[in-house]
Amino acid sequence: MKPHQLILIVEDDEAIGRLLQLAFHQLGHKTLLAKDRQSALREVQTRSLDIVLLDLGLPDGDGKELIKTIRSKLSIPIIVVSARSDEQEIIAALDAGADDYVTKPFSTNELLARVRSTQRRFLVFQTSDPLIICNDITIDVTQFTALKHTEPLKLTPTEFNLLKYLMLHRNQVLTHGKILKEVWGIGYQSEMQYLRTYINALRKKIEPNTTTPTYIQTELGIGYRFVCNGPAQ
Amino acid sequence: MQLFYPYRHYIITFFLFAFITAISLTFRHQLEMTNIILIHLLPVIVIALRGELIATIVITTFSIALLALYIPPTLSFIVHEMIYIWSFVIFYIVGYIITTQAKRIHLNSIKEILYHTLSHDLKTPLSSIMGNATFLVETHPLDAALRYKALSQIIESSRQMNRLISSLLDSARLQNPQTPLKKEWCDMEDLISIALREFRKDVLHERIECHFSVELPLFYGDSGLLMRLFVNLIDNALKYSDEEKLIEIAISTTPTEFFITFSNECPPIPPEELENLFEKFYRAGNTADISGSGIGLSICRDITHAHHGNIHAHNTDKGISVEVTLPILKRPAILKMEEL
Repeated sequence: MKPHQLILIVEDDEAIGRLLQLAFHQLGHKTLLAKDRQSALREVQTRSLDIVLLDLGLPDGDGKELIKTIRSKLSIPIIVVSARSDEQEIIAALDAGADDYVTKPFSTNELLARVRSTQRRFLVFQTSDPLIICNDITIDVTQFTALKHTEPLKLTPTEFNLLKYLMLHRNQVLTHGKILKEVWGIGYQSEMQYLRTYINALRKKIEPNTTTPTYIQTELGIGYRFVCNGPAQ
Repeated sequence: MQLFYPYRHYIITFFLFAFITAISLTFRHQLEMTNIILIHLLPVIVIALRGELIATIVITTFSIALLALYIPPTLSFIVHEMIYIWSFVIFYIVGYIITTQAKRIHLNSIKEILYHTLSHDLKTPLSSIMGNATFLVETHPLDAALRYKALSQIIESSRQMNRLISSLLDSARLQNPQTPLKKEWCDMEDLISIALREFRKDVLHERIECHFSVELPLFYGDSGLLMRLFVNLIDNALKYSDEEKLIEIAISTTPTEFFITFSNECPPIPPEELENLFEKFYRAGNTADISGSGIGLSICRDITHAHHGNIHAHNTDKGISVEVTLPILKRPAILKMEEL
C-alpha cells in the first residue's frame, strides 16, 4: 500500500470509526469519517479518494445504492464492512460493485490485508501472458495444461476452466453465482452441487492438505477465494 | 423413523384420537353426549400446547368431524341442533386461546434463556477482557512477555465472546419456526476446516487429528448452522480435555447416514450425567471452574434435531466422544463426470 492515501470510512459507530482511523493513521494515511450516506456522498463528490470502507448498516438508507453511485463515478477499491449473518446483503453488495468484505468483529490486520490485496488488483493490468502462476501452480491457458511444481496435473476441462477462473481472479472473493455463471454459463447460477463437487475435486488435486486448504478458501455462505500470496504478475 | 420426527406431535394426537374413539364407542350409552364432546376436547388441548395455530386448526376440525359418529343423525356431517354448533365454536375458541398462551410461554422461556446466558456466560470473557485491559493501562513499566500474555488473553476472550454471540443468534433463529433452515449442498470436510479457523492457531497447536472417509458425499443442510455445530463441539472438546492431548474428528457415512465424532482425552463423566450434557445450562458437576457456556451443547442438540439427527456422548477408554448422526434425506444427483 502506498503511503499518504486518502481513505473514506463510512461508519456510524464512533468506536469502530475511531479504531479504523487510528489503524490507517499509524500507516501514514489520511482518513475522512462519514457517519451517514449523505455526508459520504458529499465526500465522494468533492474529494479525490483512494479507498472507501463502507459499513452496510447505515442509519439513512441502503449501502448498496451508495456502492453503485461510487462505482459509477470512481474506479477505486470499495470494501464493505458488515455484521455477521448478513450473507445475502454481502452478496448483493458484491454484485453492486463492492470489491471485498470483512465481517464484524474483524482484526485490523485482516482488514488491512484485504485493503492491500484489493488495491494491488487495481494496479495490475490484464496480462496477455498465457502462463498464470501462483506459488507452485502454473497453468498455460493456450495449451490447456496445468503443473504443480513440475508434475503435470490431470484436470478435466471443467476443472481446468474453474482453476483458470479462480487463478485469474486471485485473492478476490468470488460469489457462488458469479463462479457458476462464468465457468458453467448462464442458467447454472444456482447449481451449487456442481460447484461444491468440482471445488472438492480440484482441492484434492492441488491442495497439500484438504482439511486446511491454502489455495481455495471457502467464504461461508458467500463463495470462494483463491489465495495467492506470491508476487503479483 | 427420523422422517416422521417433525410430525411426532401429530402422530401422538392421532393415537389419542384412536384411544378416545375406542372409549367413546364402547361406553357411548353410559357417557352421554356432553361427556363425549368433552373427551373430544382433549386432543385439541394437547395439540394447542405446541403453540402452532395451523396444527391446532387441523386437529380441532378433525376432532369435530369425529363427533359425527355420535351426533344424530350419526355418520353424516349434518347437525340439526343449534347447541352442537355452539360446542364446535367453543372448540375453536379453546384451541385458539391455549395456542396463543402456549406461544407466549414459549417466547418467554426463550427470553429467560437469553437473559441467563447474557448475564452469566458473556460476563466471563468480558471480565477477562476488562481485567487484562485495565492491567495493561495501569501497570508501568510492563514486562514485554506479560504484555503479550495479557493481550493474547484479550483476543482469545473476544473470540470466545464472538463464538457465544454467534451461537445465541443461531439459537434464536432455530427457536423461531417461521425461519426455515437455509439448506444447500454442504461439503462436511470444508465446514470442519472453516470451524477450525474460528480458533487461534496457538490454541489448537497440533492437537487436532482428522479422519475422513475418502469419498464423502455432499450433505444437504444448513451450512451456517452445521459450522456452528462443529465450532461448539470443537470448543467443548478443547475446554474439557487435558492440556496438550489430541482431539480427534472423524466423519464417515453409510448410504443413509453421516456419522461425525469428536473425541478428546479427559477423565470419564458418570453415565447418568452424559445425557444431561445437552440440556440447557447443564454443566458436569466437577467443572465449575471451566469458563464457557452451558448453552453451547444444547445448541448442538437443537441443530442436530433441526436436521432430524441425533447427538450422544459416551465415555471411551481415553476420554469422551460426542457422536452426531445425521440422516441423509436428500441425495445429490449423480453428476456425469467428465473424462480427463
